[in-house]
Amino acid sequence: MLKIRRAPSRGALRLRPVAEGHGPSGFRGRPGEVLEFAPDERWVGAEGASSPHDWERLGAACIAAAGNAQRVALDARGLPPGCAVALATGAMLRAWRFDRLKAEKRARRIELLVEEPARLEQPWARAEAALAGAAFARALVAEPGNHLTPGAFAERLKALRKEGLEVTVLGRKALRRLGAGGLLAVGQGSAHPPRLVVLRWKGGFKAPPVAFIGKGICFDTGGISIKGAAGMEAMRADMAGAAACAGAMLALARRRSPCPTVAVLAIAENATSGMAYRPGDVLRMMNGRTVEVVDTDAEGRLVLADALHFAARRFRPQALLDLATLTGSVVTALGHHRAGLFGNDAALGAAVTAAGEVVGERLWPLPIGQRHREDLKSDIADIRQCMPAGRGPQPDASHAAAFLREFVGTLPWAHLDIAGVDTAETEEFPAAKGTPSGFGVRLLDALVERHFEDPHRL
Amino acid sequence: MLDIAFAKPALPKSGALVLPIAEGAALTGLAATLDAAMEGGLGRALEAAGFKGKKGQSATLWAPAGGITKLVALGLGETPDTEKLGGSLVPMISGEAAAMVAADGLTAEQAASLAMGAALRAYRFDRYRTMEKAEDKPKLAKLTIGAAEPAAAKAAFAPMKAVVEGVFLTRDLVSEPANILTPAEFADRLKGLEKLGLGIEVLGPKEMKKLGFGALLGVAQGSINEPRMVVMKWNGSGRKKMDKPLCFIGKGVTFDTGGISIKPAGGMEDMKWDMAGAGTVAGLMAALAGRKAKADIIGIVGLVENMPGHNAQRPGDVVTSASGQTIEVINTDAEGRLVLADVIHYAIQKFDPAFMVDLATLTGAIIVALGHEHAGLFANDEELAARIIAAGNAVGEAAWRMPLGDAYDKQIKSDIADMKNVGGGRAGGSITAACFIQRFVQGKPWAHLDIAGTAWSSKDSPTIPKGATAYGVRMLDRLVAEHYEG
Repeated sequence: MLKIRRAPSRGALRLRPVAEGHGPSGFRGRPGEVLEFAPDERWVGAEGASSPHDWERLGAACIAAAGNAQRVALDARGLPPGCAVALATGAMLRAWRFDRLKAEKRARRIELLVEEPARLEQPWARAEAALAGAAFARALVAEPGNHLTPGAFAERLKALRKEGLEVTVLGRKALRRLGAGGLLAVGQGSAHPPRLVVLRWKGGFKAPPVAFIGKGICFDTGGISIKGAAGMEAMRADMAGAAACAGAMLALARRRSPCPTVAVLAIAENATSGMAYRPGDVLRMMNGRTVEVVDTDAEGRLVLADALHFAARRFRPQALLDLATLTGSVVTALGHHRAGLFGNDAALGAAVTAAGEVVGERLWPLPIGQRHREDLKSDIADIRQCMPAGRGPQPDASHAAAFLREFVGTLPWAHLDIAGVDTAETEEFPAAKGTPSGFGVRLLDALVERHFEDPHRL
Repeated sequence: MLDIAFAKPALPKSGALVLPIAEGAALTGLAATLDAAMEGGLGRALEAAGFKGKKGQSATLWAPAGGITKLVALGLGETPDTEKLGGSLVPMISGEAAAMVAADGLTAEQAASLAMGAALRAYRFDRYRTMEKAEDKPKLAKLTIGAAEPAAAKAAFAPMKAVVEGVFLTRDLVSEPANILTPAEFADRLKGLEKLGLGIEVLGPKEMKKLGFGALLGVAQGSINEPRMVVMKWNGSGRKKMDKPLCFIGKGVTFDTGGISIKPAGGMEDMKWDMAGAGTVAGLMAALAGRKAKADIIGIVGLVENMPGHNAQRPGDVVTSASGQTIEVINTDAEGRLVLADVIHYAIQKFDPAFMVDLATLTGAIIVALGHEHAGLFANDEELAARIIAAGNAVGEAAWRMPLGDAYDKQIKSDIADMKNVGGGRAGGSITAACFIQRFVQGKPWAHLDIAGTAWSSKDSPTIPKGATAYGVRMLDRLVAEHYEG
């Protein structure tokens, strides 16, 4: 929790963004510089900060400069309200930590110092909604696979009912009735059966909803096509897409967005066992099409395919946006600074990209070419899930997107491959390095706010 | 090159006849003449074959009338893509020595583009097939395009022919094995372009040492085959002194073992085409000179072989580039950017170009990012980037824009030198490579095409037989033609 005050409370470490140099100390005010000005005051280089995203990063830098101080005061006196809010937002994102499983809990107490606290109440309430969504998503992503099973994930989502969201959980039986062959196959190797969870926010006007679809693989061993041991622990975060969608729904509910929205989350564990699905298996998906499994570690596209079809058919949404930690290929393509954007609708793509720029969650478009679709021709089924390995490097991110496109029909659709950005690996993100970034939550929230809340535009 | 002639359409006395037919159209022109000679037999045969003139449809008749040995009807569809059509017909008549294509329903421009498609597809690199029996070789030697206005079609074809010859030069260079095409041999072949009116200057290791090419020479030092840099000048503007020429720069690693950071054995034979960027620039310059482009253009290629010889550079070495910037070599297999760094610096110092476009089979990461349909395009100039993409789309050589930026550039910071030659493992590997090159362009308008996924094709397409594609020659020829000639 952040407190907005006129002056720092006793014992608080004051953190001041300063853009000018200070002769005697050699401090020049450049980004990255910190000056211990006094025992209770540190200066943080603020030169060149202009965009809200710059101020967020500066807020994060303030927290980074605070060391172990438990009580800190961000000095935003003299700054325009927008900058103050961004500064505080960045600080909160940086200060977030996951200590549920630690004996020692150390929540920082953060104050924001401004001349007129009343003027900040409204903008800060708006920012807090997004921060709550991000924190919710990040906590889910941080949970280990033995704690956040598909069942436990669904329970955590049910708790969103108190926020005014309608939550429906479909278990194995319901999924069989729906013919969700993709989600069921991926989940069949685990002792913890899969779920499809639907979150609805009614909004304030009648319109087809905006739909978020999330990949929620609680842990991804790769299945029979098992992954190498090195780094496998990171696969607890393979549900970051679903978490981001849920976080965005919470943010929209908190700020009582007028736009009707729905999230469809495909939740499963991709485990190895005697019951696991195999390479070579042919699945019948919810839309009736058959899919040849080539690699059980390309499971995300299978669960998403059913979720996309479900969302498209059940809700006829005005736009479909799916988020998934889908491929290693996108990391090779774009690294850890940008997520890959695919889709079938240039206007939606532009709107999503613009929303990402606003909140510092940046995207870059990647193609779905003719060849990518041709590569998915199967000898035995309607389509195969990916290209067999061993024929040189492959554009798997584009293959995955070409696969998903088969399940969205003709509705406007954007697919965000967030495999490189679900964990903050770079200083670009306000989140502390190595922590879940919450990538997608603030982007979706900003997208809805900027693009879908005017009923007259529909 | 396939011998192509333009004449009035007439039933050939021998050989094959190709009839392009529009969708749902009645037989006209030469097709109608033949149908009459066959007493309506052609129409009946096409109907029996279910041929309706749809795009991609074809029907074959053997010995239909007179001395004609083979008749191929090809569907034009509603909007004919004549270049593709020209390419597709070649394999269908490759068993015939001569063929007539009835292009009487096409404009002169379309007839010429059909001829271009056919010429492009008829390419074959068979220099080293000594045991192939004559009957196994394609026989097609002469293709006559029966056009309504043969003179106009021939005139339209003349510049296209020069481009086809440029493409073939590129394909030849790229197809050559590395024991034949050493840097010195490559340079010798480029010397041969003088006959087209290009000024050719070849620099050897001594000259490059004097210029301070520490990055390029570091790559070359592991091989017994000396490096070369070749400058090709085309003064097409008519002005005595070149002012702000256009500049194309190619990576020419004649073989890339990876050096001390050696590559795995599987697929290493493909590394003979790690000079495709240079091969493309050579073919492009030949095309521009061949069609007498009205612009001043410089092509420069850096030619080296990357071998793990006893004097090879090591991971950890620090080299000083011609620009003075120092580079820590982390991976000797990231050599292409080292070669380009020095060549680009030279281009700026020597020619002060209006823009630079470099082409390089630079990273495997670009294949993981985009596959084989698009090359990766990086640029610091929006107009240049947009023009390149448009030119590529017009000729079927697609490029996809990729990002640059500080966040990526930071990944190549070095602890010991001004930069290192790889950064951050595989993540964003094509982008960090482009950022590396960008450090040498001094803010001048610049575009970089990573053609590792598009320089070579494992399957036939209508106008490109499998193998070397010469991706980039036609795109950049088009770029020059559209925007920089007058």
